[in-house]
Amino acid sequence: MSSKINHHHQNDKTNGQIFPQPCPHLADFHARNGTKPFRAIQDCLHIKPPGGRAAIRRDSSEVPRCGVCGDSSCPRLYACMACAAVSCHVPPHSSHVAIHATKTSSACSHEIAVDVDRAELFCCACRDQVYDRDFDAAVVLAHTTSIIQSSKPENLRKRRRIDYRPWSPDLRERSLMVNNASPIDSMSSSNGDLPRGLRGLNNLGNTCFMNSVLQALFHTPPLRNYFLSDRHNRYYCQSKNGVRLCLACDLDTMFSAIFCGDRMPYSPAKFLYSWWRHASNLASYEQQDAHEFFISMLDGIHEKVEKDQHKPRSQGNGDCCIAHRVFSGILRSDVMCMACGFTSTTFDPCVDFSLDLEPNQGSSMKTSSTKTNHSCNCEADGMNSSQNCGISTLMGCLDRFTRPERLGSDQKFFCQQCQVRQESLKQMSIRKLPLVSCFHIKRFEHSSVRKMSRKVDRYLQFPLSLDMAPYLSSSILRSRFGNRFFPFDGDESNTLNEPSSEFELFAVVTHTGKLDAGHYVTYLRLSNKWYKCDDAWITEVNENTVRAAQGYMMFYVQKMLYYKASEKQGTS
Amino acid sequence: MSAKRSSINRPPTPDVDRDRENQEPTLQEIINIKMIESGEKERLKELLRERLIECGWRDEMKSLCRAYTRKKGRNNVTVDDLVHVITPKGRASVPDPVKAELLQRIRSFLASTAT
Repeated sequence: MSSKINHHHQNDKTNGQIFPQPCPHLADFHARNGTKPFRAIQDCLHIKPPGGRAAIRRDSSEVPRCGVCGDSSCPRLYACMACAAVSCHVPPHSSHVAIHATKTSSACSHEIAVDVDRAELFCCACRDQVYDRDFDAAVVLAHTTSIIQSSKPENLRKRRRIDYRPWSPDLRERSLMVNNASPIDSMSSSNGDLPRGLRGLNNLGNTCFMNSVLQALFHTPPLRNYFLSDRHNRYYCQSKNGVRLCLACDLDTMFSAIFCGDRMPYSPAKFLYSWWRHASNLASYEQQDAHEFFISMLDGIHEKVEKDQHKPRSQGNGDCCIAHRVFSGILRSDVMCMACGFTSTTFDPCVDFSLDLEPNQGSSMKTSSTKTNHSCNCEADGMNSSQNCGISTLMGCLDRFTRPERLGSDQKFFCQQCQVRQESLKQMSIRKLPLVSCFHIKRFEHSSVRKMSRKVDRYLQFPLSLDMAPYLSSSILRSRFGNRFFPFDGDESNTLNEPSSEFELFAVVTHTGKLDAGHYVTYLRLSNKWYKCDDAWITEVNENTVRAAQGYMMFYVQKMLYYKASEKQGTS
Repeated sequence: MSAKRSSINRPPTPDVDRDRENQEPTLQEIINIKMIESGEKERLKELLRERLIECGWRDEMKSLCRAYTRKKGRNNVTVDDLVHVITPKGRASVPDPVKAELLQRIRSFLASTAT
């Protein structure tokens, strides 16, 4: 595994993380001790399952104690990298490890030590923690040596990337465009300042669930671009495949209708009929769940397209159809045996993230997540946060989603190494982010025990900008090993090319009312203004209205795709 | 070769024994050793970690560290500074139920090993 380290000493960035430069003492240590100075420590690295903490012990039952004062209860004990002497460090009272460092001579440097309980490097001369790739590599190697990695499923093959080349039209192309296109005149200016693409949808009988999701999809940048640039031409599709059920064609029809500039509310009757034929079990005038409709619709687009082009049904890389190209991501699931530490990893594609709302707050001291500096009214300013902030946030839900979860004794997992069912720890993380992340909040609880369903109305705070980096597999795994700098798991070559993890909110589908009698409304963010789409009525609203709304599905698009969408009409 | 070097350069162990030969280990030390040897200390540490994460204490300490680092400047802060700054606040803000649970565990451990 150490062969995967790139020795980019002049390049500070690896995996998008800034790597600190070594202090002169660490650099000196490297210079004196050859290419693999930390190999000696490899045998002393003991990983304690199931938490997976790395510790330095000469043998597994060793009780480390300070060589000078004999103290073994000191919280910080350091072992010298040169001579393995253990010393304590209790600033500002005493630091036997600093005294030990003074033994440094021209022959031997005793300045670099390692924390025996945390496996972190310390420079006694600088009195500060230092970081080293080789050392972290040794730690990660110790973590993974005993684990048999499951073979990677096929859907992880990397797409060949095409280099970006700028394009400008030549004369022939220019004349083609001029002759076959007509400028969309500023009809929108005649109707106030409503931007293009805003058009109400008539309610055809409890179809607000469909209207709300459709409004969000019409303004999903990659989806909108796909259809408006004629990538699925309904006439061509019908002439090639005959007049048959194709949800993508119906969607194409709707995109044309929504963006044509006509402001009269549109009735998506044809689409509704097509969707009924696809999802016949949901065909009724009863109210349906918007999220269920969303999944069903993506599935419908995928199915029909697949039949056309005979693409393999491998989801996850999004090559099969536009629905998956836009929404599909890959989730990583790690199940770790609590007895032996063996971890089984699987990758599954997903088209959205269904998140549980946190249970009752007020039962613990937990403040809102401090993973980003998005503002919460009572953000911890030190000791104040003993009080409970009391607000559920989207990031809090994502924290819960990626938190290690102890599988109960009734859910024992078969461990390949132990060959018996053992209690395990499960952790989810995101291997690949989709272009558009749809977060579905599980507000409808169905309890089979009590034979009843209820709706959870609790308010959820959601940000306008979201950084998904802490929930990526790379981050989760890195912190599992104690925040090591180390590339792993196929991340080596591609991290610079990976899309960034920053997302922008562009649509919120909200639900008001009860479980069986409620109403869906969508809020759209266009050119940094918010518009409420309530079936046939579109109105501009204040951002605070949206923030206060009860989010049910939140749509975030990757930031680099969002800027284009938010450009003013005049400049494009 | 470097694997051998660490054992060759080990400080002679008599240093420790000579200083402490005439001192009996204190009760505190005996308990500490017993707890480490039986693995109880490690279990208690893990339990404490879990509880402190659950109640948000760790996130609080993290944000304290961040605030301090922001104020001082990233390159002017050492691990020792951070430990020095957050230790008093950290000790004071451990929730009582967590303290109680750990004390209870330690008590029952002592009771079980009392001979």
